[in-house]
Amino acid sequence: MGLEEFKDDMSACCRCSACKYVPLETLKGYDHVDICPSISRFGYRAYSGGGRLGIGMALLNKEMDYSSPGLLEIIYNCQMCGGCDISCKYAMDMEVLDPMNEIRAECIKRNNSHPVLDKIITSLKNGGPMVLEANAKQGEWASELGTKDYTKQSVQVIYHAGCRTRHDKARWPIAQQTIKLMQKANIDVGIAMDEPCCGGRAYQMGYQTEAIEKAKRNMEIFNKSSAKTLVTGCAECYFAFKVLYDKFGIKGDFEILHTSEFFARLIQQGKLKPGKKVNMTVTYHDPCHLGRQGEPYIHWKGHRVPGQLIVFDPPKEFRRGMNGVYEPPRNLLQSIPGLKMVEMDRHKEFAWCCGAGGGVSETNPEYALWTATKRIEEAASTKTEAIVTGCPGCENLFEAAIRKNESRLKVYDIVEILARAIL
Amino acid sequence: MIEEKLSRLVGKENIISKSSILEEYSKDLSFVRPVKPACMVKVNNLEEVQNLVKLANETQTSLVPVSSGSPHFRGDTVPSTGGAMIVDLSGMKRIIHISRKHRMVMFEPGVTFNALISAVAKEGLRLNIPLAPRSSKSVLGSLLEREPVVMPIYHWDIGDPSGCFEIVFGNGELFRTGAAAGSGTIEEQWAAGGSQKEAAGPSSASWYRLIQGSQGTMGIVTWGTARCEILPKIEEPYLIGSSNLEAITDALHWLVRLRLANECLVLNNTNAATLLANDNNEFQIIKASLSPWVLFFNIAAYDYFPEERIQGQIEDMVRITKKIGVEAVKTLGKIRADGFLKIIKLPSSEPYWKIRQIGACQDIFFITIYEKLDELIKTMHEAASKIEYATANIGIYLQPIVQGVNCHCEFNLFYNPQDRAETAKVKKLITMATSSLAEKGAFFSRPYGENTAIIMNRDAATVVALKKVKQITDPNHIMNPGKLCF
Amino acid sequence: MTLSKNQYTAFEDIVGPEYISNNPAILYSYSWRSGLYAPPQDFSPLFEAIILPNTNEEIQAIVKLCNKFKIQFKASSTGWGPYNDATAPGCIKLDLRRMNRIIEINVKNMYAVVEPGVIGTQLQAECMKLGLNCNQNGAGTNCSASPIIGHCGFGHLSQSGSYGERNQLALEWITPEGDMVRLGSLGSIGAWFCGDGPGPSLRGAIRGNVVPMGGLGVFTKAATKLYHWPGPMSVELKGVSPKYVPTSIAKDFLIRIYSFPSMDMMDLAQQKIGEAEIAYELMGFNKGMAASNIATNNEEMLELHAEFSKLLTDYCLMVIIGGYSPRDFEYKTKVLNQIATDTQGKSLTKISDDTEVAAGCLWRWLRATGSIREVFRATGCFAGEVGGTDVFRLMADYIVETAKVKQKMIDDKLIFNDGAPPFTQAIEHGHYGHGELLIRYIPNPANWAGMMDFMAKANEIAIKQHFGVPGHVFSDAQHDIYGPHVMNYHKWLRKLKKSFDPNGASEGSHHITVKE
Repeated sequence: MGLEEFKDDMSACCRCSACKYVPLETLKGYDHVDICPSISRFGYRAYSGGGRLGIGMALLNKEMDYSSPGLLEIIYNCQMCGGCDISCKYAMDMEVLDPMNEIRAECIKRNNSHPVLDKIITSLKNGGPMVLEANAKQGEWASELGTKDYTKQSVQVIYHAGCRTRHDKARWPIAQQTIKLMQKANIDVGIAMDEPCCGGRAYQMGYQTEAIEKAKRNMEIFNKSSAKTLVTGCAECYFAFKVLYDKFGIKGDFEILHTSEFFARLIQQGKLKPGKKVNMTVTYHDPCHLGRQGEPYIHWKGHRVPGQLIVFDPPKEFRRGMNGVYEPPRNLLQSIPGLKMVEMDRHKEFAWCCGAGGGVSETNPEYALWTATKRIEEAASTKTEAIVTGCPGCENLFEAAIRKNESRLKVYDIVEILARAIL
Repeated sequence: MIEEKLSRLVGKENIISKSSILEEYSKDLSFVRPVKPACMVKVNNLEEVQNLVKLANETQTSLVPVSSGSPHFRGDTVPSTGGAMIVDLSGMKRIIHISRKHRMVMFEPGVTFNALISAVAKEGLRLNIPLAPRSSKSVLGSLLEREPVVMPIYHWDIGDPSGCFEIVFGNGELFRTGAAAGSGTIEEQWAAGGSQKEAAGPSSASWYRLIQGSQGTMGIVTWGTARCEILPKIEEPYLIGSSNLEAITDALHWLVRLRLANECLVLNNTNAATLLANDNNEFQIIKASLSPWVLFFNIAAYDYFPEERIQGQIEDMVRITKKIGVEAVKTLGKIRADGFLKIIKLPSSEPYWKIRQIGACQDIFFITIYEKLDELIKTMHEAASKIEYATANIGIYLQPIVQGVNCHCEFNLFYNPQDRAETAKVKKLITMATSSLAEKGAFFSRPYGENTAIIMNRDAATVVALKKVKQITDPNHIMNPGKLCF
Repeated sequence: MTLSKNQYTAFEDIVGPEYISNNPAILYSYSWRSGLYAPPQDFSPLFEAIILPNTNEEIQAIVKLCNKFKIQFKASSTGWGPYNDATAPGCIKLDLRRMNRIIEINVKNMYAVVEPGVIGTQLQAECMKLGLNCNQNGAGTNCSASPIIGHCGFGHLSQSGSYGERNQLALEWITPEGDMVRLGSLGSIGAWFCGDGPGPSLRGAIRGNVVPMGGLGVFTKAATKLYHWPGPMSVELKGVSPKYVPTSIAKDFLIRIYSFPSMDMMDLAQQKIGEAEIAYELMGFNKGMAASNIATNNEEMLELHAEFSKLLTDYCLMVIIGGYSPRDFEYKTKVLNQIATDTQGKSLTKISDDTEVAAGCLWRWLRATGSIREVFRATGCFAGEVGGTDVFRLMADYIVETAKVKQKMIDDKLIFNDGAPPFTQAIEHGHYGHGELLIRYIPNPANWAGMMDFMAKANEIAIKQHFGVPGHVFSDAQHDIYGPHVMNYHKWLRKLKKSFDPNGASEGSHHITVKE
């Protein structure tokens, strides 16, 4: 695509600062007004969505170039959470996140990259995971489950664990419980012992070529299987399969669901019955790539109609976060007896990012932890016992933040809560 | 030489040099040091004022503008330096323009409240006026002093009801503030539909604010505008009596906040009796019949379904006062609400209510907020006790202003001016109390007289800034020198 | 000029290395042009450095250094308008974002004290919990909550909640020389409730109906008047951005959009509504703005605009009633209906009959979140021809006159064609008014030249036809045009500027500068 393609979008930035804040109709008090972790942490306008668009224009106009000192620090201290994009689109018809993605891609094209991310991409290119530190080998998590391998056997449902789950023993129980729940519902599920990385995070980091390459290879594998449904418990993988692959024009003939969607459906169909009480008050954290960024991709090919007004031919439907996966996890939690759910101030399409995205947990772990800490504080303000979510990236960071701050909050994946009510 | 020039400017008949008259201007009922002016000049129009100011600059003659008739109370019209010229604007009595549509009036400095009230009433309008001002008080003078007014819901800003001013600054230049600045002459502005209403500006300075509160130290104002409100169709005045100050201020707060009451103020029993009584005997009877605090308020309705409005407002008022634990009545002790309303709608009858009983009165007034009132009243009482001025004799006036954001608090010290000892006591008390009250958080927004320095010295940075403004408007310092920090 | 290393270090010593930067990417992010009065040039001159101070002491130290080094400074809160920008090299930016606390909300005396980084929504949301409300900038609650910041400060609530110039109480002013002046009660007794005195009020020196746009030092904490809020402590919403809908219309609230057959009738209606003191909000939104507010994208806006064009005349008023009690609500509604009848006001059924639309509009106009949609979404750029604040009809007439010039620009295809109806509003129950034109355009050279021509004509109209000094008048060039016709106010403004800023340290391109 290229940054040039988003020149009109960047030009439409009027500097209103909406990108820094939650949609202001929703604010109920002084606290939790911010949606952008980046400007909240670093303060300068450059770190906001609008600031990044201004930088984009400067690059496009060649007022600055990609090797400008200090540029990379700004570009990569951003979780690419999409909060700015949603808030801007409350009022405006313009893209914010897309040009930000292109700026990263342009940096990579010019070999102006972050060495830590280069390492991760090298692993991806070599068929490995996109995690820096793995404490488990490929497939180990499922070694005792007796699950089918969809690359070799016919299945109806593919379960994709994701790098952060399969290579981290601490996350294994979630994947294992997922399989057990599916088995309980008599789902014909299969995994890949040699599960490929989705490659989605490579796109966020700017390595578009590598992401697309990976997507093509993965889809070949998926398309060879007989599965009609692909389920994942990782929001990043979900986003990759559901949105990015579609964006790349790489589609499979199967439905893509997050574990929360899949299990909520099974509960509604009566195939799973949460029968045991789980006496807990919890709050639910919407992962960025399941919530606001999880809405289906909208293909559009057209042009801006010449003239003063920003309209397109054909009319362009913007992704504004309206159709993200918000209700299924909530419905699932509500179906659990004894469980009480309290919303955080910032939820659904304007949830505060956990801090992990965009490569930040690798490039600036301290900033990632700062972001997660803010979220933990917000969760604590709901006076609940636990924060529940649907992404291992979020869960890792929340746990780290809880440890660092000696918080009494617990972190659960939504599958863990469901497992308590059923298994 | 200067007399000759003056004669040419204003006419010989308008220059007063008679000693007995000048003696009257050398002092007032305040305790400022008496200083006799060199002469008094009556001016009648803008041109005369401009020429006078020009002459004063050339000759380094101090000018002290006066628009109200006597008695004066604050010391601001007494020269602080010798050789000063009193500029008497009381003869400029034109009511220049009234607009019902725009709810405003334009008038000259010599216009008093009685004249203005009846003039605007003919157009179905009313002015938001201070509490029973003296009949000789200039309306413009009152606006320039930022005097508190009795209808807090129509007092959006501390400068209200002021609009624009036409002023000859101390450097001789003519200026019109706010919307009056232009473009165009006043007549051209009227023809275009303008009304010299917006006080702020022009552009990014609000000169009227720098002129208000300046005690004539910035220049001479030759006309002003004021916003008016429409006359009600129906009114229902009420009184609340209580010894519980907190309950009283709660009632004040809600009456203003919910825009239930027009006129709305609190007097202690001493002041209520002083205001309403015609003689000392009546004063005693009234005072004895009243609770310590008397809250007066007036509910009004206008053009649309007035009966319905007033009935509803009364219902809401009763609900609120019940919740607070007070009761609004039509008669409280020996006073009637409708009688009270009648009195505060107009200037004071003669003699002026504050000096009617005993002969003299000194006022200590400041701005505060409700939560501080109790402590400040105690502070005043402590100071009075130290001086052995009977606290029961202190009149207290509480006026919500700026729509209830501020509270004007005024202590009236009545005394017999013939009694030297009493007079000395009051003088001492004022100084002592001003100091103590300022320490305890009273904000003397309008400092006057011999205690001005106590106030101004608390805020050196403001003094520096004000002097810069003064240097702009009156570089030769001819305008009422010695006042405030100038 | 570029800051020398020593100078940079001197500033760094004040705030610490984290809070000063001359990273080009950061500088460019501040110089990307505003969408307000957007010129064809994408970038304004770069600041020498961006500084994020956190305390008054830091700001004072920075300002004093600027005076010493002969560098200019420009402070900003959210930094929206072009008046936040440098116009030449040699200027540093003070981004006050970190100063973002609500210091106090006093319920019984109804005022709040805020730092510049607090935005309107935050203050309003906290006030509503206490049964209070504050006026909002018409540009939106994404602007600073401080009454001394933000061009003019009138907005949606001005009918019952006045505007910045008149809501201002005490404040902290760091002068262009770095001195701290605390206005009113703050300077004398350390309290926030009064901004005036002792003696003359310095509020007069620091702003008029427009603020000095960064050209007169830095304003940090400021106190603002609050007003009664008869609504709920918070409003529950359903839906997802951008389609939020309150779950219900707040009790004892009502919203209407009336269309009148003529300006005379509209004027009469606003006068009567004002005198009856019934409106919580009264805004003369035209069909273009109403359509833009309701629509969640430009295509929808076009459809709605076409629909409204059949239903609404050019003379519209949006009225919100908020009853202080059920009885009060009943009365106010009855009066409004009567006034509408008397003035031939026709109610837009989309607002009166469609509860969801009404609830959404009501909340968006109370929370003032629709302005970005109304003025910026169409083209990304807006150049509201901003009138003054004198009496309503005069301000409306000014806009009607300048609308003729707007129509010519539309005919010449220099701006977006949304018709040329006026946008007006009433302030303080109709005692004052304000008017603007909705001008939305793409900032290419031809359109910009058209804009400049339009502004020149608008100024000529204001001066020749005596419409006062509009709020868009700022900068030397504009003051020099108006001043000679308006009591030479520009000379007086320059005297103030020179007196308080003898070294010209406070960047005054959007305020006024001292010309020898």
